[in-house]
Amino acid sequence: MNDTVLVLSIVSAVVAGTPILFAALGEILAERSGVMNLGVEGMMLIGGVTGFWAGVQTGNLGIALVAGGLAGVVFSAIHALLAISLRVNQIVSGLALVIVGNGLSSFWGSTGDDPLIQSFNGVQVDPILPEALRDLPAVGPILFGHDIVVYLSWLIVAAAGYFLYRTNAGLSLRAVGEDPAAADAAGLSVTGIRYLFTLIGGFGAGVGGAYLALAVLGTWQAGMTAGAGWIAVALVILAGWRPWLALLASYVFGALRTLGFTLQIAGVDVPSDFLSMIPFVVTFLVVVIVSANPERARRVGAPASLGEPYSREAR
Amino acid sequence: MSVRISVEPRARPAVALRLGVPVASLLAAAAVGGVVILISGNSAIEAYRTILDSSINGVRPITRTLVLATPLILTGLAAAVAFRMKVWNIGAEGQLYMGAIVASGLALWLPAGLPKVLMLAAMVVGGAVMGALWAGVAAVPKAYFNTNEVITTLMLNFVALYFMNYLIFGTVSFWRDPGRNYPQGKLIPDAAELPVISHRLHYGLVIALAAALVLWWSLRGTTWGFELRTIGDSPSASRYAGMSVSGKIVSVLALSGALAGMAGAIEVSGVLKTLDPRALATEMGFTGIVVAAVARLNALGVVPVAVLLGAVAASGAKLQTIGLDAEIVFLLQGLIFLFVASGEFFLSNRLVLSSRSAPEPQLAATEASHE
Amino acid sequence: MTAGRPPPSITVRALASVGETILEVRDLNKSFYGVAANDRVNFDLRAGEVHGLLGENGAGKSTLCSVLAGLYRPDSGEVRLDGQQVGLRSPHDAAEHGIGMVYQHFRLVPSLTVAENLVLGLKDQGVRLTLRAVETRVSQIAEEYGLSVHPSAYVWQLSVGEQQRVEILKQLYRGARILILDEPTAVLAPQECDKLFEVVRHMADQDHSVVLVSHKMEEILGHTDRVTVLRGGRNAGTVDTADTTASQLATMMIGAEHMPEAGRHTPRRFDDAEAVLTVSDLKVTGDRGTPAVNGASLEVRRGQIVGIAGVAGNGQREFQEAIAGLRTVTGGSVRLLDRDITAARPRRRSQAGLAYVPEDRLGTGLASGLTIEENLVLKSYRERPHSRLGVLSSSAIAATARELVEDFDVRGARRGMAVSLMSGGNLQRAILARELTRPHDVLLAASPTRGLDVAATAAVRGHIRAESEAGRGVLLFSEDLAEITELSDSILVMARGRIVGSYTPDTLDIEELGLLMTGARDHADSSGVAAGG
Repeated sequence: MNDTVLVLSIVSAVVAGTPILFAALGEILAERSGVMNLGVEGMMLIGGVTGFWAGVQTGNLGIALVAGGLAGVVFSAIHALLAISLRVNQIVSGLALVIVGNGLSSFWGSTGDDPLIQSFNGVQVDPILPEALRDLPAVGPILFGHDIVVYLSWLIVAAAGYFLYRTNAGLSLRAVGEDPAAADAAGLSVTGIRYLFTLIGGFGAGVGGAYLALAVLGTWQAGMTAGAGWIAVALVILAGWRPWLALLASYVFGALRTLGFTLQIAGVDVPSDFLSMIPFVVTFLVVVIVSANPERARRVGAPASLGEPYSREAR
Repeated sequence: MSVRISVEPRARPAVALRLGVPVASLLAAAAVGGVVILISGNSAIEAYRTILDSSINGVRPITRTLVLATPLILTGLAAAVAFRMKVWNIGAEGQLYMGAIVASGLALWLPAGLPKVLMLAAMVVGGAVMGALWAGVAAVPKAYFNTNEVITTLMLNFVALYFMNYLIFGTVSFWRDPGRNYPQGKLIPDAAELPVISHRLHYGLVIALAAALVLWWSLRGTTWGFELRTIGDSPSASRYAGMSVSGKIVSVLALSGALAGMAGAIEVSGVLKTLDPRALATEMGFTGIVVAAVARLNALGVVPVAVLLGAVAASGAKLQTIGLDAEIVFLLQGLIFLFVASGEFFLSNRLVLSSRSAPEPQLAATEASHE
Repeated sequence: MTAGRPPPSITVRALASVGETILEVRDLNKSFYGVAANDRVNFDLRAGEVHGLLGENGAGKSTLCSVLAGLYRPDSGEVRLDGQQVGLRSPHDAAEHGIGMVYQHFRLVPSLTVAENLVLGLKDQGVRLTLRAVETRVSQIAEEYGLSVHPSAYVWQLSVGEQQRVEILKQLYRGARILILDEPTAVLAPQECDKLFEVVRHMADQDHSVVLVSHKMEEILGHTDRVTVLRGGRNAGTVDTADTTASQLATMMIGAEHMPEAGRHTPRRFDDAEAVLTVSDLKVTGDRGTPAVNGASLEVRRGQIVGIAGVAGNGQREFQEAIAGLRTVTGGSVRLLDRDITAARPRRRSQAGLAYVPEDRLGTGLASGLTIEENLVLKSYRERPHSRLGVLSSSAIAATARELVEDFDVRGARRGMAVSLMSGGNLQRAILARELTRPHDVLLAASPTRGLDVAATAAVRGHIRAESEAGRGVLLFSEDLAEITELSDSILVMARGRIVGSYTPDTLDIEELGLLMTGARDHADSSGVAAGG
């Protein structure tokens, strides 16, 4: 029963959802500080190409993921500089990251003495739990059949949730995103916190991109994210900036990305384009429905200062 | 000991700065781009010579540059007009696709024997109307519920993208050529093709330039533009002056969408001659936003910026012949934006370096005097 | 470092602590864009005292406080704490030195709880957020100072008075020994004010020093030990409260040359004049969704200047906005001559003959990024000759602008210059030029001279008098009592969303008016007033 369509599709949903989850978690933390980074797609691509390259060079999954994450950090630093210090419009700056990320990643992936396109995945991404567990009916593959990164992502979700609501630093982060003037008056460094979490957001996107290239696709391909970064951006909103809901939503969106194939196997013909559309349609509808009721909008809770630069002496 | 950097606004930047900063920003972008090319093991000088050769050296390169600049002018205007009122339409991508779908649909559906003028008018107007309607899907919630248009327009991009993909790749639709194995759109009839000016340069450029002029003039010289600028500058003052803000949101988003939709129609009619999702989904909408930002949301400024980015893009194919990936053009475009945007900041602000205001040294002095 | 500490003798300390100077400010300068907000200001504060900081709007009180709170860095001058010079580089720095400030606009994060707001930004809290301990400690402090607030309530759920208590608690929780209260009563109801001053006295008794920033005389006289008066960014003097009088302070605050004289002009009668503006039983809801104007009525007749006095935040802004059409009315009516304009859009009202000089000059009265020319036609751009069939005529607009700039003496305006670069007086002249040259029967003016220099103030008042002489009605809102008494034919007092008193220059009783304004006494029937919320 472990190779029924249902079980297989749940498993593939988790696999496909994991890169989105990393990127979305990063973006949640960045947006909680009040910085909207629409450049997730670009950061994922740059993280993907870097991570894949590092994987080919070292054959070490950990190093590859960290390399991807660091590439995302470098990229998000551009956004941080522009959006936080130079007060450039965050939308424009984020979009520029997408354009640059797209260009730089495919450029880097396809030039040089040995282009990445011809490389094979040098990293082993295997299940880590004993076979006995993995062979359990249904729950085996769904819960115990994953690689270490999936379990790590669960840990990170829990850690992020704990961090946001149960630590002093998390309180500071939420305050900076909600009301930077009040946070400043309370002695917090608004700029410092925004930089830090914008960079952390870049790390998440970079790791997500690297995992996508190494484990999900197993190869580098220009434009391999195919909108995964944008789904992460949408997901942040749908999850109401909450890590646990992001976990759930990323698997649902992961399922939608793979559902086309699954349904084809099952002999059902639903156009995959319409399935791909679903996350965006749902996000659109949710945003409209929520905004129609101000009371509801407050509960869903976009950070109140999201997208707005802060300057202390602005009078 | 410690030096503090503070930012102060410049009241009025000197003329030399206003000319010098953008030029310096471009040079800096070129320098960083050159470093990236060098790191990849290619010659930066050769790359830049190739770019110049294939974009401005000769009639053919210039026409190629202008063909690529045409949609960027229109999407740049689409962004500029909306951003001017602080309505963040980032849905030009999707509005462009929808415009292209309707324009190609009209071209295929209307009788092929129709006079060219009528056919082209139908396509351009149809594309613009569809773009406006698609923007309207986000505009109405924005006007009535104050729904965040950044998110709604962004989401609608992908809905439009997958819809367009579906029409060609997902099914044998009216748009798709059933006679071919590989999914591909039907070719539009001759009457639906924009006439050319020279080589492959089509009259779409003229439409785009006219749009830029009309928009520039409307923003400065009409009550409509006056209201738009006032609302963008100060919603409170505009309400005080008796302007209707929500009505304006709808009309401005619709106009923005219309410009993007027109870009889609012109791409189909002037360049692609068919509904080609791959060729349309090249971030022309997003690039338009960058164009508008670099042009400081000035409608006339959009033209040279679009031509500059078009020139970079024109060299893509040629760069491959010297071993560079065509995608390097996106990198260069992005770098231009990053540097011009930073330059913009230093144009309107100045950094003031000062040692931490007096206390520490004086404190040291008083302590010393106590001893 | 330990050498300077006094011997541990309890009696000596107790004696020394009264009147011992703990904070000194020497020759403080701070300017914004070339305009001096503080010009060689000196200030000192003793332990255990309540020190009033008195001055009109724009006198430099807020700037001085912001420097002490570490929010602004002074251009020059020094701040000494316990004789040691300190650099207050950030709010955090100030807090480290025991200085806490309670702003008029609270610096609380609305989506967090009281306890969360209190621990926000504190160092040495460890990793885990341990709110229970905080809540216990908060309750202790709250009890000690009589500041009742629920520590686990969300800030957005609290009333303004409660939020202020949270702000004070926050500073005490952080160990502040110097507390700066920036116009703390501006946002409070009278009962809440009494409660606040109890807390203030309590803090002073516990050896805290309190700086009470205010422009209300009775607060200063009633609740401080010493007063420092600022005028135009400079020191006008420091006195012991017990040794001074209201008129002495007023002279220092306003300057001898601008003292208000009650009933300066002879009363004029308007019984036969036509009513140009009639407001009946107007009800308006404020931004918080609570009633801001609770049934206010008034009448302005031709040639009459009706002044509305009141402490800010008593519904004046909502009242003005409702008359101007910027805010929806929930009950009552507004009539201009014989036209009912209760539901009319702002543009219709302007066309019907309402000129409006709003309180917020740059942002509402003028669009800051637009040029002076554009701002001068902000209300007439749709009319000929400024536009025809939707096309603007830049030459006609420039001609109008030239004319208005000349006639109203708007200085410092260059062609095509954004108005944000102009001074306050010239901004107000520009607004008046635009509003008063349009055909109108009523002028609605809100705080028209706030923050203006002497010449500009005189010019604005001159225009208001000229309006009256031209047979138009003027409705003047102002917090400046001197201005109201000097100009008005009829003086109304607004408190808690109602008109609670009415005077003519010959019946004016300043003391009674002051009591009505501050809500200490209720002239009109008080039933239903307190029942709001």
